[in-house]
Amino acid sequence: MTALAPTVEPEQTALDDAEAASGAPSPVRVPLEPPELAAIYEEHARPIYYLALRMLGDPTQAEDATHDVFLKAYRKLGEFKGRSSIRTWLYRITINHCQNLLQTWHRRHIYSTDDEAVWERAAGAAESPLRLLETKELGQRIQKSLDALPEEYRILLLLVADEKLSYDEVGALTGQSSDAVRGKLHRARKAFAAHFHETA
Amino acid sequence: MNPPRKSKLQHEQEQESEQTTQGQQTQQAPLEFATAEEAIRHDAAQSDLPPAIAKRLRDSIAREPKPAASWWKRLLRR
Repeated sequence: MTALAPTVEPEQTALDDAEAASGAPSPVRVPLEPPELAAIYEEHARPIYYLALRMLGDPTQAEDATHDVFLKAYRKLGEFKGRSSIRTWLYRITINHCQNLLQTWHRRHIYSTDDEAVWERAAGAAESPLRLLETKELGQRIQKSLDALPEEYRILLLLVADEKLSYDEVGALTGQSSDAVRGKLHRARKAFAAHFHETA
Repeated sequence: MNPPRKSKLQHEQEQESEQTTQGQQTQQAPLEFATAEEAIRHDAAQSDLPPAIAKRLRDSIAREPKPAASWWKRLLRR
């Protein structure tokens, strides 16, 4: 059923696959120096953190994961050949990293996302106390709705929500054609909507 | 008898307060989304990136071993 890339794979293979799987050549130059890493961080850290946040369901773990992803990227920048976009490459590293973490956690204990403090920390800046509450509640509802989905649908929705990614890139990241992405996206949306309304 | 005149500061503060209230009223419309992606995008926009990550990353990179110089650079240094 699932067309996602293998859950656990050796780090280098994952990084190589991430680049190779992204399809069309990209004009992105090969960044080698830390100043370039700083620019990459500036542009991509936020979506990477958000993907980790919603995959792991815990802001502290997402913070650690974002740090680890960019550290891995720093170590491998020299090997990045520009066959994919930087964002696709970073997403691949993030997905693999989070999947590995989730597998380890599930083996150790059943993870609960009901800790109220977790949501307090996840909510960002808001215009008013009411909006803050709404934002917090929305975050909770989205997390619960995503958690209720099969992993494949969860990742698909999170990637498609990033307007900078094309369906081809989402397909490459999840190991399927863009047509398959469109088909599954329809089912993923329906499943998400059903869970989202349940949490209202 | 005329009512006491408001100072310029009082007047400005009252105007600001009115504007804030009006602004909040227009912004507090219930959140509605047409698709899952729209809801996720909104949530993503509201989720702030913790600033501590950048500092931790800088510290971690500073501790990373420096890449070895290539053979031709070592040769040139002789």
